Amino acid sequence: MVKVGVAGVGMTKVGKLVSRSLRELTSEALMKAIDDAGGVKPDAIVVGNMLSSLVEQENLASLIADTAGLRGISGFKVEGACGSGGAAVLAGYSLVASGLFQVVAVVGVEKLSELPTPDVTRGLAWAADADYELIHGVSFSGLNALVMRNYMKKYGVSREEMAAWPVLMHENGYHNPYAHFRKRITISDVINSVTIADPIKLYDACPLSDGAAAVILAGSDVVRKLTDTPVFIAGVGNALDSTDITSRFDITSFIASNISTKQALRNAGLELKDIDIAEIHDAYSITAVISLEEIGLAPKGMGAKYVAEGRFRPGDRPAVNPSGGLKSRGHPVGATGVYQVAEVVMQLRGDFPGVKVGGDVGLTQNIGGVGSNVTTIILRR
Amino acid sequence: MASIQRFWRIQGNVLNLIATKCSNCGYVSYPPKAACPKCGSRNVEEIKLPGRGRVVTYTVINVPIKGFEDSTPLLIAIVEINNARIMCQLVGIDENMLKKGLTGLEVEAVVRRGNPTLDNAIPYIIKFKPASQGR
Repeated sequence: MVKVGVAGVGMTKVGKLVSRSLRELTSEALMKAIDDAGGVKPDAIVVGNMLSSLVEQENLASLIADTAGLRGISGFKVEGACGSGGAAVLAGYSLVASGLFQVVAVVGVEKLSELPTPDVTRGLAWAADADYELIHGVSFSGLNALVMRNYMKKYGVSREEMAAWPVLMHENGYHNPYAHFRKRITISDVINSVTIADPIKLYDACPLSDGAAAVILAGSDVVRKLTDTPVFIAGVGNALDSTDITSRFDITSFIASNISTKQALRNAGLELKDIDIAEIHDAYSITAVISLEEIGLAPKGMGAKYVAEGRFRPGDRPAVNPSGGLKSRGHPVGATGVYQVAEVVMQLRGDFPGVKVGGDVGLTQNIGGVGSNVTTIILRR
Repeated sequence: MASIQRFWRIQGNVLNLIATKCSNCGYVSYPPKAACPKCGSRNVEEIKLPGRGRVVTYTVINVPIKGFEDSTPLLIAIVEINNARIMCQLVGIDENMLKKGLTGLEVEAVVRRGNPTLDNAIPYIIKFKPASQGR
């Protein structure tokens, strides 16, 4: 297999970008990434996106390539619900690793601000089981609320302990110029915010964001010619769990997070203790807490308690979500996995414009559905 | 919002609480699957779950999805029946019961109107209500 590196990254600011279209966002991110990679022309484009049908646009690869002056190259879209971006990076990685293409651009994009909230929440709930969950009217927040209540009861975790995560994310995101929210919050802000789906409060939940991010992948020989600060993809993993949450062996466990982490580490020939920095998928406070446990950074039932004790901050090892995570950087759904990779690449290169944590090895984990489609990527300087 | 065709296809499973039980390892899955989620065996049989169980977890949804704007707040639970768990709406719950908490509550299945389909038909689905006493 060809060793794959990241030659360039680009991203737009995340937010409710009403005045900007899907094509403007993707062109900006893609062209920035191409410029960052010394102006190289990709041979192919892989697009990560979940819900472009909401803005009545499919056939994204050709739209994005053509808009950016790349008519005639190869490409397609990858979908894995909120994990679409990570899955797209994995697909792009394998296109280069296999030797099929020399240079591949991976672009993640989502445009959610176009429609009223009930349309968007309905779209996001398409990640659930349409026949057996959606017919009851459950939202994506509702599904996560079912998990959160069960988790807190099972492990005796308090409301205050669960609130420590969003407070940390808003502190980190405050420094990130690309973040959706740049505002510090307190534990009581979280606890006193409105209830979306009991026990999930507004500040437990990520925002509905627009945004696009891109990374340029190439074989290591090519990457070394394109940039002086190459970062390599050392390992990748992806695993699936059930779409529905009711047939799970344990609804407070994300087995796909656990399996894909082990797969990526094994693939990279590294251990968890080698990780200096991680960007994980905190769609809700409960998602972050369970992910920390499944990745292996906290024992079962201890994720929230560890965060409340002050772990995972910049300066700790690993530092988790110095970007501010989905909670504060925002969650442009199908782009999030690409943002995570771009952010960790910049951290390892030393040019991330927010909280800098540095290090040699980073991990990204992007989750689709309630832990049902999980991609983990290990990056190494 | 689902199509009327979807409800027509799934009504047998939904109204009869059909799960699958693995003949190899015994794992019960709701929703029913073509193969066992635990051991992968295709040797699964459809079983009808009894209409009585206990609430494992629940939520009150205040931000609705399209098609449920008039059903807010919406009370959704996961109910454990024998070794299976099913997702459903809870009905017949008052403020006092909600304040005390619903986890562990014994509930029974009832046939109720679901929300309108895309084509504005009214489907019937199973919801759960607090179990009647003395049974």
